[in-house]
Amino acid sequence: MQDILTYIVLGLAIGFLVKKYIFKTKNNDKCDTDCGC
Amino acid sequence: MKNNKDVKVALIGNPNTGKTSLFNQLTGLKQKVGNYPGITVEKKLGICKLNDSVKAEVTDLPGTYSINPTSLDETLVLDTLLNEKNNSFPDVVVVVVEIENIKRNLLLFTQIKDLKIPTILVINMIDQMKRKGIDINVNELEEKLNTKIVLASARKNVGIEELKEVILDYKKLDTTSIGKITDKIDKEYFTKLKNAFPEFTLYKSWLLITQNNEFEFLNDNQKKLVLKFREDLGCIKRYQHKETIFRYQIINNVLKSSFKIDKSKASDLRGILDRILTHKIFGYVIFALILLFIFQGIFDWATYPMDIIDGAFASLSSWTKSILPPGTFTNLLAEGIVPGIGGVVIFIPQIAILFTFISILEETGYMSRVVFLMDKIMRKFGMSGKSVIPLISGTACSIPAIMASRNISSWKERLITILVIPFTTCSARLPVYAILIALIIPDKRVLGILNLQGLTMMALYLLGFTAAIFSAILLNAVLKIESKSLFVIEMPNYKIPSLKNIFYEVVEKTKAFVFGAGKIILAISIVLWFLASNGPSTFKNSEQIVTSKIENANLSEDILQKKVASFKLEHSYIGYMGKSIEPMIKPMGYDWKIGIALISSFAAREVFVGALATIYNVDNDAENSGTIKERMAAEVNPNTGKSRFDFPTGISLLLFYAFAMQCIGTLAIVKRETNSWKWPILQLVGMGILAYVSAVLAFNIFS
Repeated sequence: MQDILTYIVLGLAIGFLVKKYIFKTKNNDKCDTDCGC
Repeated sequence: MKNNKDVKVALIGNPNTGKTSLFNQLTGLKQKVGNYPGITVEKKLGICKLNDSVKAEVTDLPGTYSINPTSLDETLVLDTLLNEKNNSFPDVVVVVVEIENIKRNLLLFTQIKDLKIPTILVINMIDQMKRKGIDINVNELEEKLNTKIVLASARKNVGIEELKEVILDYKKLDTTSIGKITDKIDKEYFTKLKNAFPEFTLYKSWLLITQNNEFEFLNDNQKKLVLKFREDLGCIKRYQHKETIFRYQIINNVLKSSFKIDKSKASDLRGILDRILTHKIFGYVIFALILLFIFQGIFDWATYPMDIIDGAFASLSSWTKSILPPGTFTNLLAEGIVPGIGGVVIFIPQIAILFTFISILEETGYMSRVVFLMDKIMRKFGMSGKSVIPLISGTACSIPAIMASRNISSWKERLITILVIPFTTCSARLPVYAILIALIIPDKRVLGILNLQGLTMMALYLLGFTAAIFSAILLNAVLKIESKSLFVIEMPNYKIPSLKNIFYEVVEKTKAFVFGAGKIILAISIVLWFLASNGPSTFKNSEQIVTSKIENANLSEDILQKKVASFKLEHSYIGYMGKSIEPMIKPMGYDWKIGIALISSFAAREVFVGALATIYNVDNDAENSGTIKERMAAEVNPNTGKSRFDFPTGISLLLFYAFAMQCIGTLAIVKRETNSWKWPILQLVGMGILAYVSAVLAFNIFS
């Protein structure tokens, strides 16, 4: 069970980073201006 | 979802009229900061409750002097007011003017009034009326301007309720224009224009033909007609000049009897302060002293909450491990997630203190004096006084700072500003500096009052600015771009800072760090933990390999476990990654563990501390693994037997992070703003070489 939870969290983290840096979504009027740095 | 009863309100005004203060009073914390579609100009939206059943959706539009746009920000105001099909098109416009500059501010008001959109005039900063010897006849002014006027002091929450009532009754507002300007300019020409666009108001048609914009909401026939009118550009320019002259004539007539200034009653404190704060010697001395005070404050006051936060997360990590059943997820929580979050939260006090000071300087009006003061100097380096604001904004984040350079009209000055902004110390560098300074600089007093760590922090900020200036000189000499620009700046009045505005600004900036950078730090911490807790076959057999070594046979269980943990980290996936770059980073004084933090922070430098916190947490198998600072201080260099983060390595790291271009977001925005990959690549390579060479030199000199 702990292993499954670990892999889910890891998957979410990788997914977030890929989305942030590789498949960057286009700006729309709901985007905020934080730059992540 | 928008209720039918909701009112769309657009807040419009010249810069420095207190528009944002009014927006804050109307909407409180119910604000959302976004971007206008397709561009990166900030859009502030907020909700204001007008009464029990009606709400107002308030848009704070960028400050503009007229609706004849000269920059991207100002174009937005025009687009919002002309396109009725646009979702942001307002039901009512609130024009904010400042009591002292009412004459100039009213130009924009008369233009909007001619668009026949219900318009309310807010005369702001009325608390200064008496001191400035100003007297207004509101009834007469309302009558002459065909509008409702609200006297307000947004900072002191005066007139806000009255404004809400007027917004509620916006349908009763008079939409007739003030004076028939078009008739005075050329009656025949404007009749022809009116007939060409019968579906639009005359002034809207005039704006359509006078602006160089592509208006997407026009149909093909209308677009053709616009182009036809634009053919006679000389005539348009001549009539535009006449328009401005006639508008000021009307404004002068309106104000002649309804607005009076008794100079004898006015005090000239502003003049005295201006002379001192912009003095060619005292001005710079005062600015330097203010900076010194800020950095002393950051170190002296932030230490206590930071120590508490650091200790709390260290205890939380141990507590998580003790209370949950042993397993990988427990380890992830205790060694990856908790230290990862801790690595973000710990820097909130310093960031909040820095932005409190910056907001106070902006709020008081002092920042505009700094811009004026610096203009002469900046010009020598190929930039303009307008470059100062982006450079100072760069202390928060380079991305909005680069966007803020859009108001620099000369392309060369703008390009140089964009290229050197990343040298200024952004909030992402603050955590890296803070932890390294705490490790290598003693917490001592200099001259009895100055904190040595605070002085070092200030020196790093100055180093960033110096690097920016020297790069600008170099770029100014190298770049062969011909351009000229004028520098015009408005000096706002000195004001007592509004606590509410400062609070909102600090909350917004801190939120941007915690939820923007924090998410990235946390995600990278999780990935790092995984890579540090897993590895190929050697990693899996670590315990067996370490215990089977003869030299480990007589070791105590505690020391043996530490050896196993260390061996595991070295043979984990991340260990191999760090080792692969070790030959390259060794001249800078770094080992493979610091190499891991360098790789992890390539995309965003603030990840450095969180990455080291995760690595040293995994490396240390003890139950109570201590604070981030303690763990870093305890790390020993096996070659020298001294602390890994000794003075030469610490200085080398500080210089590396001061100069290296470690921010993917900044590279992306530079590409977008310059429309070329050439400039971000130049930044990445140039700053990288400077960072590497400085770090190598510093390590070898101080070793």
